[in-house]
Amino acid sequence: MKDEVSLRLEGCLLRFMDQLELLEEKRQQLNSLIEQGWFSISKARYAMGNKQVSALQYSSEIVPQVSVHVRTLPNGETGFETEQMGQQPSGDAKDAARRVEEVGPVDEGVRRRKAATAKNSEDHSDSSTKPVAEEELSISKVPPGQQDPLKWFGILVPQSLKQAQSAFRQVIELSAEIASLQTAVLSTRKELHTLMGEKHKAPTGKESSES
Amino acid sequence: MAGRGKLIALIGDEDTCTGFLLGGVGELNKSRKPNFLVVEKDTSVTEIEETFKSFLARDDIGIILINQFIAEMIRHAIDAHMQSIPAVLEIPSKEHPYDANKDSILRRAKGMFSVEDFR
Repeated sequence: MKDEVSLRLEGCLLRFMDQLELLEEKRQQLNSLIEQGWFSISKARYAMGNKQVSALQYSSEIVPQVSVHVRTLPNGETGFETEQMGQQPSGDAKDAARRVEEVGPVDEGVRRRKAATAKNSEDHSDSSTKPVAEEELSISKVPPGQQDPLKWFGILVPQSLKQAQSAFRQVIELSAEIASLQTAVLSTRKELHTLMGEKHKAPTGKESSES
Repeated sequence: MAGRGKLIALIGDEDTCTGFLLGGVGELNKSRKPNFLVVEKDTSVTEIEETFKSFLARDDIGIILINQFIAEMIRHAIDAHMQSIPAVLEIPSKEHPYDANKDSILRRAKGMFSVEDFR
């Protein structure tokens, strides 16, 4: 009986150590990305001015663009998963991701607006002008709260601010992974405590055979 | 069942809040309270603690991110939080790097081993 509990205890302990090691690794990645983000914000502040990148620029209405889904795993642990919520009222998530990243020739996109929107449903192997045209259309319909937060700091923001946004987006995804790992660590710790209690209470093999 | 996801709340200094709001976690509108608090030099510990407790009481918050130096100010409140949701994640700040020895979760995990357990 005690041997069985010891085996389970050893398995649980190994799992606990693995979880701690993974947690430590994710933590280091998170800290490194956050530092990159701060560095990029400092560079943006240097380029734009101290007051141009501060809490004064936050919008009066902010709509979250990231949500976190909480689910209970089969082993009873809690899992956290982030999801990017669509900024635009319609359209694919993939298209939305492309639109955010591409900074194409705006003038061409404006001129070809009608042609681009007409062809958009047929032809997905598009040039860089089409997403920009759609982005312009969608931005005009989107209320201020749903805008990309980069827009709070001006229309033309330095590349460093975009890099900061990219770094913090990765941090947010990592945060969800770390939250899941933390709950897993605590759950494994609780299981270890229970098994240790069972081990101390369980009779040894010799005692049980003699009795 | 797919439903509306939960929010990520944030208690941090200005740079931390600016970064995470750029990432898209912020919520602020006329009817609802914000899901973030920018901690400045004159922000009182009471305000920080009340904000933290208000985040814990909300059922639409899944994760709370908090700078570790701010977490130290309300350590008793963080240690008292035993539920898995919302998860509390301590993060570094520009002037205070992350210290694993101060993290509530890791302290709880560390404090379980003793010599007697391995006999």
